[in-house]
Amino acid sequence: MTTVLIVAATAPKQPAVLIEALERFRSRGARVTVACLFNSADLPIDPALAEVRTFAVPGEKRDARLRKALGRAPANRKVWLHARHNSWVRQRYRAADLLVALDARAVHAVWEMAQRNTRAGAYYGLVPAQKALDARRTESVGRRLERQVAAAAGIGARGARRAAVQTVRTTLRKATGQTVMSNPAGAWFWTHAVAAPRVPDRFRSKLAVRLHDSAVKAGRPAVAARAASAAANRINSAGTRADVLTKAAQAELALGRVPTGLHDAIRAQLTLADSLLPRDSKKAAAAVSRAWSLASNRVLHFDRLTSPMSEDPGAFLAPFRESTAARKLSAKRGRLAPAAPVPTDRPLRLLVTTLINDNFLQEILERYRAMPNVEVRFLDLYDDPVTRPLALSGSAVMEHLLAGESSYGAKIEEWLRPHLDWADTVFVDWCQATAALFTLHDPGSARIIVRLHSFEAFNFWPHLVDFSRVDDVVFVSEHLKDLSTAVLPQLTEAHGPRLWVIDNAMDLQRYPRSKPADARFTLGMVGFSSVAKDPRWAIEVLRRLRERDERYRLTLIGSDFNNRTSKPAKDYGKLLSKDLAELEPLGAVRRYGQTDDVPAALQEVGVILSTSVRESFHCGLVEGAASGAVPVVRDWPFFAGKAHGARTLFPADWVAATPEEAAERILAATATEERWAEAGRAASEHVLKTWDWTVTQTGYDRLLLDD
Amino acid sequence: MSNRVVPLPRSGGGSRPHAIYLAIGFPPAAKSSAYRLRETANQFVALGWDITVITICQEAWEREYGLDHTLSEKVDPRVKVVELPLIREDLETDIRAFSEERSLDPAGWIKRLRQREQKVFPEPVFGGWRYELEAAVLRVHREHPADLLLASCAPYVNLAATWKLWEEHKVPYAIDFRDGWSLDVIGGGEAFTRDSVSGRWESKVLEHAVAVWCVNDPIAGFYRERYPHLADRVHVVRNGYDEDSLPDVTGRSPDPAAGLTFGYLGSVNFTPAFLESVLDGWRIARRDDPVVARSRFEVRGHIGAGPAREANRHMDLLKEAAADGVSFGGPVPKADLAATYGSWDALVLMLVGGRFVTSGKVYEFMATGLPVLSAHDVDHDAANILAGHPLWTGAVGLDPHRLANSFSEAARMALKATDADRRAARELARRFARPAVLGPAVRHLTELVRPTTAGDSTPAVAASTEDVQP
Repeated sequence: MTTVLIVAATAPKQPAVLIEALERFRSRGARVTVACLFNSADLPIDPALAEVRTFAVPGEKRDARLRKALGRAPANRKVWLHARHNSWVRQRYRAADLLVALDARAVHAVWEMAQRNTRAGAYYGLVPAQKALDARRTESVGRRLERQVAAAAGIGARGARRAAVQTVRTTLRKATGQTVMSNPAGAWFWTHAVAAPRVPDRFRSKLAVRLHDSAVKAGRPAVAARAASAAANRINSAGTRADVLTKAAQAELALGRVPTGLHDAIRAQLTLADSLLPRDSKKAAAAVSRAWSLASNRVLHFDRLTSPMSEDPGAFLAPFRESTAARKLSAKRGRLAPAAPVPTDRPLRLLVTTLINDNFLQEILERYRAMPNVEVRFLDLYDDPVTRPLALSGSAVMEHLLAGESSYGAKIEEWLRPHLDWADTVFVDWCQATAALFTLHDPGSARIIVRLHSFEAFNFWPHLVDFSRVDDVVFVSEHLKDLSTAVLPQLTEAHGPRLWVIDNAMDLQRYPRSKPADARFTLGMVGFSSVAKDPRWAIEVLRRLRERDERYRLTLIGSDFNNRTSKPAKDYGKLLSKDLAELEPLGAVRRYGQTDDVPAALQEVGVILSTSVRESFHCGLVEGAASGAVPVVRDWPFFAGKAHGARTLFPADWVAATPEEAAERILAATATEERWAEAGRAASEHVLKTWDWTVTQTGYDRLLLDD
Repeated sequence: MSNRVVPLPRSGGGSRPHAIYLAIGFPPAAKSSAYRLRETANQFVALGWDITVITICQEAWEREYGLDHTLSEKVDPRVKVVELPLIREDLETDIRAFSEERSLDPAGWIKRLRQREQKVFPEPVFGGWRYELEAAVLRVHREHPADLLLASCAPYVNLAATWKLWEEHKVPYAIDFRDGWSLDVIGGGEAFTRDSVSGRWESKVLEHAVAVWCVNDPIAGFYRERYPHLADRVHVVRNGYDEDSLPDVTGRSPDPAAGLTFGYLGSVNFTPAFLESVLDGWRIARRDDPVVARSRFEVRGHIGAGPAREANRHMDLLKEAAADGVSFGGPVPKADLAATYGSWDALVLMLVGGRFVTSGKVYEFMATGLPVLSAHDVDHDAANILAGHPLWTGAVGLDPHRLANSFSEAARMALKATDADRRAARELARRFARPAVLGPAVRHLTELVRPTTAGDSTPAVAASTEDVQP
C-alpha cells in the first residue's frame, strides 16, 4: 500500500478540492495522513479518507532552544521546526512513499522531509502528487543510494552553514549594537564605515538603519543622525535614500522623540514623489503619503507639550509647499456652477455629515430638524460597513488626486453623488476625510460648509480638501482660524471660501446648580485622558495650594488617562500615575470616572480648570463655569503670545500663565465663601450670556439660513 | 548587438524555400493556439515550403496546459519540429528539484526569477528564454538557410530571436501578433508606452517586418494607429475552427422532460467573480425555468497550473455548484472534441475582455451549429462574429438575471431548432474554417518574400489595410 503524507501549514482555502483529492488517493489504494500546523478541528475530514492531526508544538512544550530557533527562523522554516519536534510527524514522513506540500508555507518542511526520506516522491500541489502516484516508477538502487549520500551530506553541510551564518549575524549585531554606538570610537568608526565608497545600496541602507537604531537607543541622537545622513548621501537610489531616512525618523518617533532628520526624511520622500509623479502616480502617492505620515505623527503634535506646527507652520510645511506632488493634492479644480442660493419656494435641504464623531452636532441637528423650512438629513460616513473603508483611506484619496481618476474616485462619486444631488447645503463637521471626499468631485450646485475644530490643523486631511469647492469654512475660535489660515494659505486667497468664527453649540442652561459649601476647595477638570490636557499642570497647582491649605483637592472627571497612544504618552502616564499614587490615598485627588451626567459631577466642583496646552474652545471649562465654578485657565502654550488665544477668548482675569499664578487666583477667589460664590456667579452669568446655544444659534442661522 | 551580416546561401537556388516558424505552443501542446500554429505550418508545406517549427519540449507542456498527442496526428509529416529544452521553472512541482532557497520562500524565489527574466527580455515568465531561442534560430538557419521567419506571439520573447536572425543574416520576417503586445486586450488601453523597454523592442522589430498579423479588426486598428507608417503591413488573420472538431448535429430532438446539457469547453482563465456571475445566472434560470431546472451544465478544460492545478477558487465554485447540476470534467483531447460537443445541447461561451478580444473558441462554438449563449461583455468582438447566427442568444453582459434569461432562451432554442437552423449556423461559420483563413494569409506571405513560388494566383491582398481575404 502506498502511504501519502500531506503537509498543510494553513487551513486550505479550497477544502472541497482537498476532499476530492483524498477520495482519488483512496480510490488508488493509498493511505493518507494530513499533518497540519493549524488546529486540525478546522479541517473536518472523514477519518475514513485520511488521518488528520496537528503537529504544532504548543507554547508550553517549547524548550528554550526551539523558542530561540522559532524566534529567528523565516516563516517556512518554522513549519519544519515544528514538524521536526513532533515524533508523530517524524514517524509519518519516514514511512511515506509520497510527500505533498499543500501550500507554499509547507514546501520547506516537505523539502526537509524529502532529504531524510530519499525514497519518497515530494510534490507541491495535489494534482502533481496524484500524477506522480499514477506514474510511480521504481528507481535504480544506485540512483537512490546516490541521493541518500547527497541528502545526508547536505543535511550536515546545511547545519554547519546555518550555525556559521548565525554566528556571523550575532557578531555583527553586537558590533553594531548600543554599547558600541555609545562609545565615541565605535560611533566614529561606523559613521565612516557606513559612508565608505562602493558599498551596494541595499547593504548600506540596512547598516545605516541598524546603526541609527542603536545610536538612538544609546541616547546619542546626533550620532544617529550623522550615520543616517552620511549613508543617505552615498545612496544613489532616491527610493532607498528616502527609505533609510524614513526608517531612521520612524525609529526616533517610536521612542517619542522629534527626529533630528525629520525634514530630511520628509524632503527625501517628496523628492521621490516628484520624480515618480510623471510616470507612476500610484508610487508617487505612496511616497507623499509616507511624507505626510511622518509630518502628522501624533508624537509631534499631540503627545507632547509643544508642536513644531504651531510654532511655525510655514517652516514646518515648507517641504510640502515646495513639492509638485504635494501641491497637486490640494490643487484647485474648481466647480462648474456656483452654489445655488437658499431656496425660497421649498424647505432648505440640509445634509449634516461627519465621520464617527457627532459630539458637537446634537444641538444643531435638533434646532434645524424642528424648523419647518429646513429638511435635515444626517450622514455618518462610518455607519455603512460596506462603504466605511472608503472613508478611512487617506492614501487612496492621494492616489486619486495624483492620478486624476481612479476606480476609488468612481466609488466615491457613486456613493456621495446622490447626497450632493439631494442637498442644497452640506454641513461637513470636522475638516478631515469627510471634507476631502465631499470635494473629490464637483459638488454641483450644493453649497459646501466645512467646520474645522482643532486637531485637523495638525493632520494631513485638510491638505487633501479642494477649498475651491468649499463655500464656507467655520472655525470655533479666532486662534484656530489664525493657525488654520497659516497652515492652509489657500483659505485666505482671492475667491477662497468665506471664513466664519462661530462658537460651539452648547446647551449651558442645564449646568447652573447649587453647590455645597465645601465645593469651594474642590478643583475640577473635565477631560484628562490625553497629554494635551496636561493634568499634571493641575496637580502642580494643587500642590501649591495644599502647601497653604490642605483642604484643597482635585476631582478629575472623565475617562482615565490613555497611555497607549505612543511612547511619550506612556512616559507622561507613568509620571501621572506616580502623582496619583501619592495624592489619591491622601484624599487630595479623586478620579470621578466617566459620566453621562456632567452637570451633577460639576456640582461638587468649586473651581474649574483648563490646563491644556492647546484647545480650540474647551467646552468642559465653559460648562464648569456655567455650573458656577470659578474658572481658571492656563494660557494655552500653543497659542500664548499670539494674536488670539485663551487671553482673548476669556476674560483676562480667568487666565494664568503659570501654576503659581493659577494658585494665587484660586486662593484669592476662594478666600471666603462669599467671594467664591460671587466669582462663580459672575462667571456663570458671563458664559450663559456669551456661549449658551440660545445666544450662539444666531451665528448658525446666519450661516445656514442667510438670516 | 552586433551589426555583422554574414551572407549565407539561401535555399532559393531553385529548390524548396525554407521558413523557420517560431511557434511555441505547437502540437502536441494542448493549448488553444496549437490549432492556428498547426494549420499555419501545414499551409506552408502545402505551398511548397520546407518548414522548421521551433517550440519547447513536451515536458514543459505537461506542467502547464498538458499534452494532446491527437493534435499531432494532423501535422503534415513534412513539418520538421525542433523542441528546445526550455521549461517554465516557476511551474516546477517536484520539490526535490527545488533549492533550499526556493523551498524557504517559493513566492519570493519566483519574484526574483521574474526580475532576472525581465532583465534579459522585458517579458515576465518567458524573457529568460531569449538567448536559447536566438541560438536556436541561428543554428537552424546555419543548418538549413531560411528565406523567411514567422514568429507567432505570445511569448513575445520570440521577437528577440526574430531580430537576431534579421540582424545577423537579414532573413525577412513576419510577426503573427495574434492579440498584440502593446495593447491591453482585456482593459482596452495601451499595455506599455512606446518609450518603455517593451515599447522600444516592439517598434524596432515591427519596423522591418514584412507583415504583421492580428486576430481581429480592433487589434489591427490599434496597430495601424500606433504605427501609421506600417499600416499597410498590418493584416487581420482571424482564428478559425477545425472541421474535425465538429459534431454531427442532424436529427437531434432533445427531450425537455429529461432536461438539456449545457457545455463550456476551454481554459478557465476568467476571474472567480466572472464564473460566479455565470453560475448565479444558471441558478436563477433553474429556479425560474423548469427545463433548465432539469438540465445539467458541464465545464471542460484546464483550470490552474503548477501546484494550483485544479486547486483554486474556480474549482471551489464549481464544486459548490454541483448541487445545481454543474460538473467539471477536466480537459478534452482533440480527438474527443466532436463527441463532447455532440453530447451537449447548447454551449455557454464564457469570454473575458471586450472589443479587442475574439478568442478562437467563438469560431468553433459557432460552427458546431448548436445554440450559443454569450457570457461576456456586450461590446465584445465575439458579438461581431456571432451576429447573424440563428441560434445565438445575443450578448447581455454579465448580470446574473440577464444571463438567466439567456439560459432559458438557449434552452428554448435547443428544443425548437431544426436541422435547417443548425445548417444555417454552420454555413455562417464556414468562412472561418482554418484553411479558409490561413491559406490566403500564408500565400500572401509567400508572395511577399518569394514572388514566383506562389504560382500564378492573383494577389491575395485586395486592399492593403483590410483582411487577408479567403
